Amino acid sequence: MMKNIYIILSLALLFQSCDNFDEDININPNLPSQASGTQLIANAELYLPGLSSSPKGEFLAQYLAETQYVGTSLYPQESTSFYTYYQGPLENLQTVLNNRENLSSVGGPVDNQVAVAKILRAYFYWNVTDRWGDVPYTEALMGSANFTPAYDTQESIYLDLFEELKEATSMMVSGSINNDIVYDGNMENWRMLANTIRLFMALRLSEVDPDLAQTEFTAALSDGVILDNANNLMYHHLPEANNQNYWYGQVVNQNREWWALTEKLVAQMLPVDDPRLQVYGNPARANDEFVGLKFGEEESIGTEEYSLLGSDIYAQDAPVYLVTSAQVYFAIAEAAARGWVAESAEENYNMAIEQSFLQWTGSSEGIDSFLSQPEVAFDAANAIESIANQRWVHLYMHGYEAWSEWRRTGFPIGFESPNGAEIPLRLSYPSNESFNNSDNYEEAVSRQFNGEDLIYGKLWWDQ
Amino acid sequence: MEKKITLLALLGLMFTTTFFAQNQIISGTVIVAEDSMPLPGVNVIVKGTSNGAVTDMQGRYSLEVLPNSILVFSAIGFVSQEIKIDGQEELNVSLVQDTESLGEVVVTALGISRDKKSLGYATQEVEGEDLNITNQQNVLGTLSGRVAGVQVTGSSGASMGGTQKIKIRGVNSINGGDEPLIVVDGTPISNSNFSGSSGADYGNLAQDINPSDIASVNVLKGPAASALYGIRGQYGVIMITTKKGKKGPKEVRVQVNSSLMLEFAGNFLPKQNMYGGGSSQTFRTLPNGDPYVDLSVDESWGPRMDGTPVRQVFSFYPQDPTYGQLTPFVPHPDNIENYYETGVNLNNGVTVSGGNKNTTYRLSLNDTRIEGVEPNTELKRNNLGLSASLDLAENLTVSTNINYARNEAQRPGQGSEDGAAYLNQWFQRNLDMDRLRDYKYDDGTILHWNLRRPDSDTGEITNFDPLYWNNPYFNAYENLSNDSRDRFFGDVTLSYKILPDLEIRGAIRSDMYTQNIENRTAFGGTGLPAYFVGKYQNKEWNYELLAQYNKKVGDISIDGTLGGNIYNRNYSYLSQATAGGLSAPGFYNIDASIDRPSTTSYKLEKQIRSLFAMVSLGYLDTYFLDASIRNDNSSALPEDNNSYWYPSISGSLVFSELINWDALSFAKFRASYAQAGSDLSPYRTTLAYGVGTVYDGINTLYVPDNLNNPDIKPSFSHSYETGLDLQFFGNRLGLNFTYYKQRNKNQIISLDVSGASGYESSTINAGLIENDGIEISLSGKPIKTNDFSWDVIFNISRNESKVVELAPGIDVYTYGSTTYSSVTSYLNSYEGKPFGSLVGQAYQRDESTGEILIDANGMPLYTDATYDFGTVLPDFTGGFQNTFRWKNLSLNAMIDFQGGGQFFSRSKMLGVRTGQDPLTVAINENGMNVRDPLEDGGGVKVTGISAETGERVENFVDARSYYRNVLGRRIYEEWLYDASYVKLSEVRIGYTFGAKMMEVLPFDSVNVAFIARNPAMIWQNAPDGIDPSAISTGSQSISWYESGQLATVRSYGINLNITF
Repeated sequence: MMKNIYIILSLALLFQSCDNFDEDININPNLPSQASGTQLIANAELYLPGLSSSPKGEFLAQYLAETQYVGTSLYPQESTSFYTYYQGPLENLQTVLNNRENLSSVGGPVDNQVAVAKILRAYFYWNVTDRWGDVPYTEALMGSANFTPAYDTQESIYLDLFEELKEATSMMVSGSINNDIVYDGNMENWRMLANTIRLFMALRLSEVDPDLAQTEFTAALSDGVILDNANNLMYHHLPEANNQNYWYGQVVNQNREWWALTEKLVAQMLPVDDPRLQVYGNPARANDEFVGLKFGEEESIGTEEYSLLGSDIYAQDAPVYLVTSAQVYFAIAEAAARGWVAESAEENYNMAIEQSFLQWTGSSEGIDSFLSQPEVAFDAANAIESIANQRWVHLYMHGYEAWSEWRRTGFPIGFESPNGAEIPLRLSYPSNESFNNSDNYEEAVSRQFNGEDLIYGKLWWDQ
Repeated sequence: MEKKITLLALLGLMFTTTFFAQNQIISGTVIVAEDSMPLPGVNVIVKGTSNGAVTDMQGRYSLEVLPNSILVFSAIGFVSQEIKIDGQEELNVSLVQDTESLGEVVVTALGISRDKKSLGYATQEVEGEDLNITNQQNVLGTLSGRVAGVQVTGSSGASMGGTQKIKIRGVNSINGGDEPLIVVDGTPISNSNFSGSSGADYGNLAQDINPSDIASVNVLKGPAASALYGIRGQYGVIMITTKKGKKGPKEVRVQVNSSLMLEFAGNFLPKQNMYGGGSSQTFRTLPNGDPYVDLSVDESWGPRMDGTPVRQVFSFYPQDPTYGQLTPFVPHPDNIENYYETGVNLNNGVTVSGGNKNTTYRLSLNDTRIEGVEPNTELKRNNLGLSASLDLAENLTVSTNINYARNEAQRPGQGSEDGAAYLNQWFQRNLDMDRLRDYKYDDGTILHWNLRRPDSDTGEITNFDPLYWNNPYFNAYENLSNDSRDRFFGDVTLSYKILPDLEIRGAIRSDMYTQNIENRTAFGGTGLPAYFVGKYQNKEWNYELLAQYNKKVGDISIDGTLGGNIYNRNYSYLSQATAGGLSAPGFYNIDASIDRPSTTSYKLEKQIRSLFAMVSLGYLDTYFLDASIRNDNSSALPEDNNSYWYPSISGSLVFSELINWDALSFAKFRASYAQAGSDLSPYRTTLAYGVGTVYDGINTLYVPDNLNNPDIKPSFSHSYETGLDLQFFGNRLGLNFTYYKQRNKNQIISLDVSGASGYESSTINAGLIENDGIEISLSGKPIKTNDFSWDVIFNISRNESKVVELAPGIDVYTYGSTTYSSVTSYLNSYEGKPFGSLVGQAYQRDESTGEILIDANGMPLYTDATYDFGTVLPDFTGGFQNTFRWKNLSLNAMIDFQGGGQFFSRSKMLGVRTGQDPLTVAINENGMNVRDPLEDGGGVKVTGISAETGERVENFVDARSYYRNVLGRRIYEEWLYDASYVKLSEVRIGYTFGAKMMEVLPFDSVNVAFIARNPAMIWQNAPDGIDPSAISTGSQSISWYESGQLATVRSYGINLNITF
């Protein structure tokens, strides 16, 4: 019997002290546990082209029409997710801001890293609120501290973004940051970008709060904005699969000839011999001419008979233009027309088109004769409309921005309404938000849109 | 005072039996009749008393008795004998093995053999013979319907060993990750799955067990049964015991088993044969005026197939004999069926077994070769198994089980966009599959059916790159998916019987495999040429030490177990994929990558250290009480909080011993309570950054979308179970009934949160899922004569899984979602509702009448993707097994069934959307084809309430717009189907040659059988062409939608089994 007890005891001893494992047994050896501020910022920058490269944006601005599987361009009532922006770039940027104390100056002055993170965060938020309306902001990006963030009003988001951008530029110090995909660490460019974003945001308020709009606009302008294409915010894709243009993947990799220039775009550009048309689209294969496809057309559409997306637009390394000097000149022209600034509306309008020519074709050749055509020449009597029409031509492929400007100004006019469906006025919230964050979602929907999360709800600034 | 008297009386009784009854001493040896080996542990009892003894290692016993006593010799697994002493002093007995009651000994947790009647919880055992009636490849698949409470969701035989998912007692985990632990001869083995929801289905890894090696499978259903597995046994255990050699006079038994089966694809979705490819009913024309089939459209909304001479796709290839020719535009009704071939399944196995006085051995070798029903698909599998034991000394035995499995396969793709599964979804009814078979012209040009339209000047096609779809034969012969796996699992065990009552066992157990996966995308098809290769290695080691103590003192039996286990897992993989294309056709290598290839190297280590103890007490073979406890330390849990205890208690009462009713042969009542748990994968308690795309030398890192949690605890389940086991009329009729309730708390889930929090999901402890259900198993021998017998086993179980609570503030958990054409559907769980609601777009309905709401264009309106269609889980599942024997002829038939449950079919939906389904050519109320123009009385009649006016509307709408843009794309309510079915899953008709024949032949026995696997679906509620019993896709553990299901496979063949 004693023998038994010994055996049992030694067995028990053998398995004693069981809860002491190797110290790092549960530390993930496959992923880094440290990230530098600029590595996180660079990752956020990878999301920049996604703000523009999307068929949906092109349909909302009626730049492109669908040639096959016509569906998304018919403006169905469907939800669109904003989660990608929060989980992706915004969370990366927020992490940089939260860890300000621990950032290493190896990546450049810490203040500059923080400033860039703030500018990019503001830029992403601005895009998000312009598409969906009220969105989570002050309670967002808090991880486990708040899984159900409340929605802030668009007005309060705008007001805070102005301040954030000002704070970002005022904290900048000399010295560049590294790992920067878009500006190669040049802080002067970042400063101008921050001011330009403020300028565009201010203009967006022209209808809802003209006084505030004017104040913010002139302040941004005097702080220094992007006046040359060399300072544009653009994203250069690379001629390789891992960093390629979205449209290359669609048209070349997936063989999708699904997009033709719209009838309206061709009708606007072809009669005035706009040189940008050669870049925007390819001539129809059937007759080598530029032929636009009626937006929303559903029956028997050929890919031979219409001008499809231009080869330069879907090139593997085609750039994506996000914030450009041409837009700035259009904005100043409009501000002048509104009497906010003492500038010549016409000169800025002409300058805008010239910058657009340079941006898209690399040359301003023939700009004077182009501008002298009555269809193009600045019409002071209908200043806002002239500016809006040409801005729409310039903003090609940045459909979401063009759509916002259409919502604000109501120009251009004459868009198609497929099957009677008007152009939407916003995107519906992500459908899973209605169960992941139901109370706040419902509150936001009832506050803004009478309880219906539809694509025809009007945003705060679009009143 | 009263107590004391009772005690005294009891003592007095004991003295009576011990003092007054001794008169003489009797002794002897008990041996096994079959092999004359001594039999230890036999109970020798004087009938009518509690006086008795137990035989020792040499089978010897001795006790004092009255001269005219009757001795009862009984041992588990042997027929009891009663012998009158008649004054003898030595009585040697040989006991005969009881084949009937062998089933009464069951292998329980940790390989401990227990008398079934002593168990206080439900287990259900299936004999290997029953599992192997038709040589199925995947042992889990054969359990379908054979065990009450076990639900198996299979996949088509076309993937040759595809996924079989198993759930015990419903869904016990909110994230569905509740697969039971698989244990073979005491060794836990991996049942992972490398398949996704599309691409090749590699199947679950438990299929590496050779089905013909299986002696029995015992399913430990609830936590009480699996409590000794602690943190690994929360979701039940499938205990597999393999066949062993037998001790005895030196004898070698050789068994040869061969089967040949032919496999046929069947059960195709019905298709219409009136309208061909295109998007409009008029032909497009070439510059010369010739009509042509619109080969840029992958749908069948085109012109009527009335034999009009047209240019078809083949006529645009200059290499084709029909180049430039017009051929009649006619349907090819069997074009999809014609793609499939007759598969061949050849299985050969040899086993050699035997043993002598101190050794046993069994060696088995099996070879399976399958040529699948899809062209150019195959599987080769080899299994080698060795189990042996050697008595090193009288009380020291070493034994081992070694299993090796090798799989090598080339499998078909499944899912919407892969392989040939897309044919049901996107295709033209006019295409002749026989013409597509030779997919490559002599000059190397690939023949595809889906091309850009011809040039409007020349009428020629010059770009032969396929538009959206490859020729299915190109996929089959060029875009190959290959996999192979080498695997070893087994153990070496040393058992040492220190004392007759105490045994110590030490075992080293291992399971290790290397899985290789390779995929090719060839030049000449859709998509960039690409190559993927992955190598996955897993090693699991278990070091186990166990002490077992068995003692019978008078009427009291004690079984005790004390032990410990160290589990160690090392997993690593290296996977690489080319980017940007391949540098040269036919060169499939990572070196061929045009751009920086994407690579992942990954390693994982996990340890669990455990201690456990169990005590089982029995009294008078009637009252039993068990208690166990286990302590687990998991390295995957947070460092300072990684040790947890899991207790269980159970009891049973064999009340047939207490009542005297002849009809009742055996009756037991049992009840139990247990806690079990489960932990999580490593590295989920601390933050790590994700590695993003490298941009021109700029490295990017990102914050992962799932938020890890440093405070995670293991999940706990509490289960209560009670049941009855009854046997009537000399075991001719049996009934097992179990009721259980299981509360699974603090589940470790990756909870989807609002993305606005910065995260997609968060690892948390949350929730409570409650399952309660009943299991009934009926077995009977309605007829038993010398020549004829009929055996029946009927299982049925019902389970309700209810999500009682989720996380604070969260009342929905999204298990999964699928998006097609911007329309998403979800599998959600809502607090307070049954697990697993299918959520998607439904019709908008008028509140008062329930009628469909209709928009201004006369089309139905639909809701957001928020409509709850209810749970996808079945109400009940079961099976019905019949075995008939008439002389030497036997018939086995297995029927599985399921009631309730639902799923959504994308194949059906897209078949309608693309105009392939017969629905799209129906005759409407006007007697016209729905595709006829509206002005001629065509169109689909839509009735409902106008959303604008509130008036009732009846109108006809254009069929293509209705089916293609509304119904077939947006209204998921239309494509939900009931998953109920009754299926004849296996049939075997066998003939065993008689003894006379054996005298002539050099064999001991010969059995020839006709076997059929999955021969018929007896009844289903879902439409023809969709098999609700085979909607398993890949590793997703809950099946809730079907998309690009592989064709149903029915197999028929012969089996020959020879023993000599």
